[in-house]
Amino acid sequence: MIELNNVTKYFQTKHGKKYILDNVSIVIPSHTNIGILGRNGAGKSTLMRMLGQIEFPNNGKITSANSFSWPLGLSGGFVGNMTGKANVRFVCRLYGKSNKEIQEIITTIKDFTELGDYFDMPIKTYSSGMKSRLNFGLSMVFDFDYLLIDETLSVGDTRFKKKSKEALMKKIETCSVLLVSHDMKILRELCDAGIVVNEGKMHYYENINDAIDEYEKINKKAG
Amino acid sequence: MLQRNYLQVFFAVQKALFLRELNMRISVSRLGLFWTFFQPFFQVMLFVLVKLLLFGDTAETFDFAVFLAINFTAYNMFRSIINKSMGAFTANKGLFNYKQVKPIDTIIARSMVEVFITGIIILIFIVIGLYFDYDMNIKNLVMFSLGFLWLIVFSFSLALCLAVANTFIASVSKIVGFLMYAFMFGSALFYTVDMLSPELQNIIYFNPLTHFMEMIHGSYFYTLDTKHVDTVYMMSWTISLLFFGLWFYMRLEKKIISL
Repeated sequence: MIELNNVTKYFQTKHGKKYILDNVSIVIPSHTNIGILGRNGAGKSTLMRMLGQIEFPNNGKITSANSFSWPLGLSGGFVGNMTGKANVRFVCRLYGKSNKEIQEIITTIKDFTELGDYFDMPIKTYSSGMKSRLNFGLSMVFDFDYLLIDETLSVGDTRFKKKSKEALMKKIETCSVLLVSHDMKILRELCDAGIVVNEGKMHYYENINDAIDEYEKINKKAG
Repeated sequence: MLQRNYLQVFFAVQKALFLRELNMRISVSRLGLFWTFFQPFFQVMLFVLVKLLLFGDTAETFDFAVFLAINFTAYNMFRSIINKSMGAFTANKGLFNYKQVKPIDTIIARSMVEVFITGIIILIFIVIGLYFDYDMNIKNLVMFSLGFLWLIVFSFSLALCLAVANTFIASVSKIVGFLMYAFMFGSALFYTVDMLSPELQNIIYFNPLTHFMEMIHGSYFYTLDTKHVDTVYMMSWTISLLFFGLWFYMRLEKKIISL
C-alpha cells in the first residue's frame, strides 16, 4: 500500500512552476500491478521515482511500508571501469547479501543474461543491449514488494525479450509492478489498475482499460 | 524482502561503497595507484632538495626528511579527503537510484578510502624507516595518533561543507584548488611555527591546519613541542564545520538526490 498525502510536486522553469502533482491525496492498494500513463513530460517517471522514494515531493508526504526496486531500465548505477561481475557484487552488497548468497546470485545472473565472457569484462565494453540485459537480470534476483519499470521492457533481441518477459511474468506472481509505458499492449497484459497523470492531477482507475480510455481521450483533446 | 534496521543498512552500504571505490581506484589506472603511493616520497625528496639548494645544509634538531614525510602524509590525506569528497555527489549520482544509498554515504566511503590509503603509506614509511635504521621513537604516541584521528574528523567536516557548497555554487572547486596551495605553504608543513617571526606567527595561528600539523610533528619529535597548539581553537573549527556541514546537508539532501 502506498499513501499519498497532499502531495505537490513541481519543477521550477523559466516560465514559472510546472506542476506534476498539485495537492494530490490518494491511497494505492497493495498487490496490484499498476500502469502509469500520461503524455510526454506529464511526470510519469517523476511520479514513479517519487513512489519509489528516490525523488521527493515539494510538499506533502508519501508513505509506504513496502520495499521498492530501483527503476529498471536505468544503468546509471554501473561503473564503466568495473566488470559486470564486480558491479553485480556491488549491488548485492548494497542489499546486505552474504558472500555465499552473492556467489549464487552471480551464477544465476551469468546464466540468465548470457553475457558469457563479457561478464568478466568492464561494463564500458558492453553494448547498450548488454547493459540493459545485465540490469534486468540483476533486478530479477531480489525480492521486492514493488518492481519499478520505466518504459524498457524491450531488452535485447527477440529471443531475450521473450525470455525476460517470462521471467518477469513469473516474478510478478510474488511482487507488484509499477510500470511506466506507452505500449498499451504491454500495459493491458501486465497491469490490473492504472494511473493517469495529466496537468497536475492524477487519477487512479481500478481497471487498466478505463485508464487507457481516459489517456486516449486526453491525447485526442490535445492533438 | 527482509527488513533490515538502519545500522545494518548503513554498514552494508558503507562496505559496498568502500570496496567499490577501492576497486575503481585499482581498475581505473594502475599508474594513478602508483602515484598515490609514491607521491609522498617525491614530495619529501623534492623539498629536501629545495631546502639544500636554498639554505644549504642547516643543522636541525630533528630529521628533516622524517619531518616532511609525517607532515605531507597528513596534508595529503587532508587534501584528498576534500578533493575526492567534492566530486562524490555528481560522480555517484547514478547510485542514488538505490534508495538505501544517501549522498553522505558516498562522502564517508571516499574519506574512509583515503584514510585507508594513508594507513598504507604510513606502513610503507615505517618499513623504510626500519630498513634504514631511522630513529622512530615517538615522543607521545597517543597525542600523535590523536592528531591524525582528529585531522580525519576535521577534514571530513570541511569536505562535507565544501561538497554541499560545490553542488549548488559554481566555481567552489576552483577556489578550493587555490586554497589548497595556501594550505600547503601556510600550514607549517616544511617549517615549524617556532622558525617564523612573531608577525608571521600571529597570521599563521588563524589557519586551523597549522595547529593540526604542530600537534602531529610536535608530539613526534623529542626536540619539538606543542606549545603553539590551541586545542580549543581546533575544537571550535571542527565542531562548527561539522555542525554547518550536517545542517546544510540535511536541508539539501533531497535536492542532492534528485540532482
